[in-house]
Amino acid sequence: MDRDEYFGYAGKILTVDLGSSAYVIKPTPYDMVVNFLGGKGFGAKILYEELKPGWDPLSEDNILVVATGPLTGTLMPATGHATLCTKSPLTGIWLDSHCAGFLGPEIKMAGYDAIIIKGKAKKPTVLVIKDGKVSFEDARYLWGKLIFETQDLLRQKYGEDCQFMTIGPAGERKARFANIVSGGRGFGRGGSGAVMGSKNLKAIVVKGTKGIRIYDLDGFTKICRESYSELVLSPDTGGGRPKYGTNSIYSFMIEAGTHPVKNFQTGIFEEVKECNEDVLDKKYYKRHIACFSCPINCSKASRVDDGKYKGKFTEGPEYENMWSLGAQCGNSNIGAIIYGEHLCDEYGLDAISAGNVIGFTMECFEKGILSEKDIGFPANFGNDEAIIKFIEMMAKKEGIGELMSQGVRQMAKELGRGTEKFAMHVKGMEMPAYDPRGAFGMGLAYATSDRGACHLRAWTLGAEILDTQDRMDPFATEFKAELVKNQQDYFAVIQSAVVCLFLNFGISQRQITRSIQALTGIKEWKTGEDILRIGERIYNLTRLFSMREGISGKDDRLPERLLKEPVQEGPTKGVVVDLDTMLEEYYLVRHWDAEGRPTKEKLAQLGLEKYVV
Amino acid sequence: MPIADHKKCTGCHICEIICSIHHYKEMNPKLALVEIKDSWPWEDKVVICRQCKKPKCIEACEYDALEIVNGHIKIDHDKCTACFECVKACPFEGVVVSDLTGKPVFCDTCNGQYLCVSWCPQKVLSK
Repeated sequence: MDRDEYFGYAGKILTVDLGSSAYVIKPTPYDMVVNFLGGKGFGAKILYEELKPGWDPLSEDNILVVATGPLTGTLMPATGHATLCTKSPLTGIWLDSHCAGFLGPEIKMAGYDAIIIKGKAKKPTVLVIKDGKVSFEDARYLWGKLIFETQDLLRQKYGEDCQFMTIGPAGERKARFANIVSGGRGFGRGGSGAVMGSKNLKAIVVKGTKGIRIYDLDGFTKICRESYSELVLSPDTGGGRPKYGTNSIYSFMIEAGTHPVKNFQTGIFEEVKECNEDVLDKKYYKRHIACFSCPINCSKASRVDDGKYKGKFTEGPEYENMWSLGAQCGNSNIGAIIYGEHLCDEYGLDAISAGNVIGFTMECFEKGILSEKDIGFPANFGNDEAIIKFIEMMAKKEGIGELMSQGVRQMAKELGRGTEKFAMHVKGMEMPAYDPRGAFGMGLAYATSDRGACHLRAWTLGAEILDTQDRMDPFATEFKAELVKNQQDYFAVIQSAVVCLFLNFGISQRQITRSIQALTGIKEWKTGEDILRIGERIYNLTRLFSMREGISGKDDRLPERLLKEPVQEGPTKGVVVDLDTMLEEYYLVRHWDAEGRPTKEKLAQLGLEKYVV
Repeated sequence: MPIADHKKCTGCHICEIICSIHHYKEMNPKLALVEIKDSWPWEDKVVICRQCKKPKCIEACEYDALEIVNGHIKIDHDKCTACFECVKACPFEGVVVSDLTGKPVFCDTCNGQYLCVSWCPQKVLSK
């Protein structure tokens, strides 16, 4: 089927081979739509079938899938996302990564539900996609350039109304947590920028002019209108988030002791008076920015007006980076956080991993495992200038930056001396801004997330800390398995419809599934349940993908610090995470065996029999 | 007469989407009769016809392509030569040039409903 037969979908998939500068455009298979929805689901199916186990993620064999979903680029709120799936060079397992902004709608308007990129270009290349026309252009003049300059040059050459995917020097040098930037947003985690770099692909330019058709025009428009009202009425998406952005939870996390400080050594951040969401709002936020079709406008343009970072700016800083370049490094200088985040965007580094790695390095320095001679300067916690230097060194792979750019798992492996106990990662992906010792659900979420330690596969803080009614005990293990499993499955649906996860804080599951039904008119989805079931199918398939790469239940672990080393003060004093109890229950709820493998019965129930590893 | 308070605009493009749905029954911001222009990250600007009583664009057009019909500007794309004199003449920088045709387009008020005004979540637009 092609566009004229689909509603909601663009109806075509573009496959590009960089090695031979060839491309082919094919209709989107109907059974893939019905069974995998879009975005992450499409990526899981395509990569499972086309990648052979054991292939090097930084070789020409790896494949990048950039996909949209049915809701992308539509009138539903917050539909500006695009999804990228590949094998991660940071973890060696499944990776899906999501970019907000305007890229997803542009890809869909160019006529594609997914773009599959294979092979390796012989020289630096820009892939230019303008509707049905695809060209491979010389990018030697861009190689080595920072991201915002690259985007400016591309804009001058290809027009103001294009969208981009760009890598910086970190991606070119294959730093293992290099990101891909689009406008002021990015595919952050897992090193997708290094995959682009390894393919000699400096940038992708997309421009589209095709519209998206609606099955039930009046019904869909009405559902969208209701959704906007629901978002405005929610205290989150209509209150804190529009005002403070993702930092709306900052003080709550500090208060609960779930905001890790100095590489998870403590939960007490004494400098919080000078570094919190109110200070950001009053002193640094200059305006609100929205992604495509989004009334929440959680993004902020920030600028530093005084001090040594005067004039530095960023789109952000996001909550995660307020942590990674802030409390994680014992730093309370917001100017340094803003500049650090800007530098990560310029060089193309994932700021969560970058900050986590810096905190780890600082702890190694303070413990005498790394000396001033090893690093080149004193790197105590709280040294804001060291943070800035480290970011540049990682992006350029200079000095200790070469080792740091490989992530904390590899660093701990090379440094030895017990450092693996406080290398804060799961399956190789650095941990983000929540301490599971203050919210056990997050421990299970990190341990079982399909791409390694990630807060966007299940986010239990709402249920454990923030909810004002029926709040769960954050230190209990009961019901956490179901909570995490249900969120993982539902988030997979959101990430395959390809909309923003923040819709989850404002509108109901029913509203999402109703909108998909009204938009697409697909007969196989008789009820909302039929769509929600796709999430579980996808989550099991990504598990199978990673199992094929050697992952088993033994890898569903947390760093020893969280399991054996309690915090000495504050609200989480004396607590360690009881992971085993939750994990056992989680496997039961998922119908996985004791080694964390999906059972045959479960796979059969999900229609995944043919994918048995 | 839609008036924009540009400072409030966050650049969500919802005005463009609802405009394209009303006029073309599909979602395609590039067909919209209203346009958001951004200068990341500091500014977004709404380009939309204010339906002036004595429109400078009509005065500037040498090809008789513009006229007022039912209180809004109507353009005859056969007569229009894409000289952009109307774009230059508009004191409010309110003439949208379509990406697809390369010619100017003008807000037709959606039969007086002004859907962009009613859907704008930031109340940037008023009439």
